[in-house]
Amino acid sequence: MPGDLISAYLAELDHLLPAGLAEEIADGLAQACEHHLASGLSWDDAAQAAVAEFGDASRLAAELTRHAPGRRAARCLLASGPAVGVCWGAALIAARAWTWPVPDAARLAFGTALLMVVAVLASAATSQHSYRRTRLAVPASVGLITLDMTMITAVLTVAPAVTWMLAIAITASLTRIGLAATLVPRVLAR
Amino acid sequence: MKAEAQLLKGHLDSLLLATLEAGPLHGYAVMEALRQAGGSRLDLPTGTIYPALRRLESAGLLDGSWSVVGGRKRRTYSLTAAGRRKLHGDRAAWREFASTVNSILEAAPCPAT
Repeated sequence: MPGDLISAYLAELDHLLPAGLAEEIADGLAQACEHHLASGLSWDDAAQAAVAEFGDASRLAAELTRHAPGRRAARCLLASGPAVGVCWGAALIAARAWTWPVPDAARLAFGTALLMVVAVLASAATSQHSYRRTRLAVPASVGLITLDMTMITAVLTVAPAVTWMLAIAITASLTRIGLAATLVPRVLAR
Repeated sequence: MKAEAQLLKGHLDSLLLATLEAGPLHGYAVMEALRQAGGSRLDLPTGTIYPALRRLESAGLLDGSWSVVGGRKRRTYSLTAAGRRKLHGDRAAWREFASTVNSILEAAPCPAT
């Protein structure tokens, strides 16, 4: 049954891809079907030829996932981690940040939140087959922006003085906030 | 054949940009245009075309827009100014490369000494 074949293919795409992408492929599949019908094939053969032309649905979804903007955004933000981390680490050690009046619970909460954000970013960055998982880059980016802003606010509030090393670390965080804020709309747009 | 497919993939972006130079097209029309221009040698799989179109759009080289045709949602791609510049650059680089390779391949063999 050609209708069943096409429906099953589209149902699999709907399951694997976001609505916009699945609709784009569905339109292409319908056009492929029409093209084969116009060339003289029967409905059955046209549907089979169209599905064969588009190939395995999971492979197509995996290829689209590999180029997903969320995956690229997550990789980009993860790549910024070591540089920003080194800036903050060096600045906090130099400023003897452990002597600042910050509750241990707050330090622990910040560290835990940072690890969670990194884990979610890593999950989005390494997604091979799930396009939806690449969209985890959005909440992770919002989390990263929040953490960077928290860090900057905390330093400006409790540090006895803003040293040049702290100024560099703050600049690094502000740059990353700008990067994340630029990437989020791109991921949401697709 | 495998080597030819790899060679094609290396030029996929330029081929897609060139296909869209004349005007906006949707994904399947891009595939058809490539097939018509290059015959079976340019019969690239869907798994290559659609992701590449999305990637070029993300890179700002293509602009994608939705319309409704015959009750179906359709995404159409057109070249952006950056895409047009990239195509001109790729075309110039290809002409120079092809000219160099041609001058070597088509040259008369040197007499044996």
